[in-house]
Amino acid sequence: MIYLDNAATTKPSAVALEKAAEFLSDNYFNPSAPYGAGFALQGQLKKARTAILSHVCDANAYELIFTSCGTESDNTAIFSCCRRGNAVTTAGEHSAVLAGLTELKNRNVIDLRTAGLDEFGRVRVDELLALVDDKTTFVSVMHVNNETGAINDVNAIAKAVKRKNPRVLFHSDGVQAFGKIPFKISPEIDFYSISAHKIGGLKGVGALIKKKSAVLHVFMHGGGQENGRRSGTENVYGIKVLEYAAEEKYAKIRENFARLKDFKDCFLQSLNSEIYTPISSPDASPYIISVSAKGLRGEVLLHMADEKGLIVGAGSACSSNSKRRYSRVVLACGYDEKVADGVLRISFSTDTTKEEVLAAAQILNEIGTELFKKMN
Amino acid sequence: MKTVIIIRYSEIYLKGKNRGFFEKQLERNIEKSLGELQHELHRYSGRYLIENFEEYDAEEILLRLKKVFGIHSMSVAYETASDMNSIFEAAKLVCNETGTFKVETHRGDKKYPLTSVEISATLGGMLLSHFYKLKVDVRNPSFHVYVDVRENGTALVFSEFFEGANGMPVGTAGKGLLLISGGIDSPVAGHMMAKRGMRIECLHFHSYPYTNMQAKEKVIDLAKVLSSYTYGNALYSVSVTHIQEAIHEKCAPQLMVTLLRRFMFRISERFAHRVGAQCLITGESLGQVASQTIEGMTSSNSVVEKLPVLRPLVGFDKNEIIDRSVKIGTYDISILPYEDCCTVFLPDYPAIRPKMEDILKEESKLDVEGLIRQAFESLEKIEL
Repeated sequence: MIYLDNAATTKPSAVALEKAAEFLSDNYFNPSAPYGAGFALQGQLKKARTAILSHVCDANAYELIFTSCGTESDNTAIFSCCRRGNAVTTAGEHSAVLAGLTELKNRNVIDLRTAGLDEFGRVRVDELLALVDDKTTFVSVMHVNNETGAINDVNAIAKAVKRKNPRVLFHSDGVQAFGKIPFKISPEIDFYSISAHKIGGLKGVGALIKKKSAVLHVFMHGGGQENGRRSGTENVYGIKVLEYAAEEKYAKIRENFARLKDFKDCFLQSLNSEIYTPISSPDASPYIISVSAKGLRGEVLLHMADEKGLIVGAGSACSSNSKRRYSRVVLACGYDEKVADGVLRISFSTDTTKEEVLAAAQILNEIGTELFKKMN
Repeated sequence: MKTVIIIRYSEIYLKGKNRGFFEKQLERNIEKSLGELQHELHRYSGRYLIENFEEYDAEEILLRLKKVFGIHSMSVAYETASDMNSIFEAAKLVCNETGTFKVETHRGDKKYPLTSVEISATLGGMLLSHFYKLKVDVRNPSFHVYVDVRENGTALVFSEFFEGANGMPVGTAGKGLLLISGGIDSPVAGHMMAKRGMRIECLHFHSYPYTNMQAKEKVIDLAKVLSSYTYGNALYSVSVTHIQEAIHEKCAPQLMVTLLRRFMFRISERFAHRVGAQCLITGESLGQVASQTIEGMTSSNSVVEKLPVLRPLVGFDKNEIIDRSVKIGTYDISILPYEDCCTVFLPDYPAIRPKMEDILKEESKLDVEGLIRQAFESLEKIEL
């Protein structure tokens, strides 16, 4: 089996699982407990927090709140920061951000403004800045688009936004960037969401990185864990796996980036250009490649690939509901429904090998040709 | 004082000498539907009593019994000693404190010192003096208190009737093969035939990889809901992808659905013989879509050699079908937006009144037997 749907989730890192194993079996105590074994786990959590922060920012200026997933991190930032006025975001956001903001809009808390995308899925920065005014309280721009891999220069965007309105709280969804894109959070970014299972960690663990000076309105009340920011007994094992998985990724982040960039180029070169057109730009994240098989259905190709042992993602679904059927992001890039219907997403992890990449291109070429013949 | 559930049956009353057959089947079905729940089922004077169940299961038992065809109504009753004081104690528990009421008594124990009218009057008086806001209204009461004095020295006291599924017990009217899709109609059609006592087997046609796994899961979920009425335990699934591909390659596009349906009916009839089904059941409703015109039905019907094709919804409006689908609990599943008979090959303008000679001409381009054989190779049994 060749697994190339790593933007959906990755295989947990064997190294991280092994290193964290003691926290699953023997070291099972409640970190809030006052006895020694429990208290020791507080130290372990602290260590994880600092280690993860140090990869992407100044650990003295930022703090980290463990959550259950990227979606929770996004929602925590959104529901905490949005005040009366307007919020500005992009058409490329993950639904974790868009649905949260839309909910606030429907509750008449905010006026929601959405900036469009360029053909590769990057936000049009001029458009975004034009939407920011002195009534803007919150801006959210994703770091790497989960469908096209487009990278937004969130540091520069945050800087420009703050120049226009310094009171804005700036959030970025970094779920597809953390552990993959060499990057440090600049001081203009107030909140940054990450998720463990996209980098070899476990599902059910995420974190919200937050500037210390930014005020957080608590969302989960209870036993006061995470400094009262997010109550609920910590998933110590999952958190430790995240710490070790991140450590593994960041040790070789540039090397991985360069290798996968090479894989991406090879993959696109090997793909039959009469059937597949790339949607992702050459300078997008090398971890995510979006292509469209025009006139064919992405999901049908996905099923055919599945039967040949290749797992990829699709932007569309065999749905009778047109809203669900086409990828919202690909449509926002300016493509028509025919193109959007044929989108496949191929996403790599650091485990991906060149042989797999070439074999995948081969399989996609075969099934693309087969389906094209059947349909015409 | 303990709680029991009274079950009254419906049309079985009309049966003559073979009533026992229907009663036994109903009893078996009640047992099947109550399954693992602790209970005892007893027959008494043309009814059934469920006893010795956990009180917290009462709701669940009622919910399950509501799906058993052949049951007319049910009541949750208190079983008590048959002296007036005990009856009064039970009646207090089923009685509202305000409003108007009427007591109705059925006296099975003919040796009981009071007549039914006297029992009603006595109990009515006791309740009136206990609940000072209550009034009697024998014409149009806001609620009833029913008393059933039994021969074994106990009495049943209850106030409410819950409507059952009516119809005839499943298993008393042969077996049919339902052509089930993920839509609204076919599960309703299956439900209607089961209501007349028919056992149902389900056959589904899929077009993977053109349709997705959710579409199949949806049909499995529909079959599960249906099986809660029919006690079926499997869904059969056959791929028609290669048939659609062959039609697409060789035949006139506007006849795609017409030709495909003829294949489905052929496969169904052969499969029906395998599972011992005596008819085919479809959810067709006249004129609902292009393939369900009388010409379309004639075309697909003409390939079925021996079995009748039952179309219980043929004269129903879509709204009527939807109402039923909501009632039986399949609607919410049916409207999930997964395509099931794939639309990839669907023509823009399907033939609405296909002519038989055109159909036969197009079909002659296909290896009908070979395609059917191939379909059977994909046959899959899914346990529900």
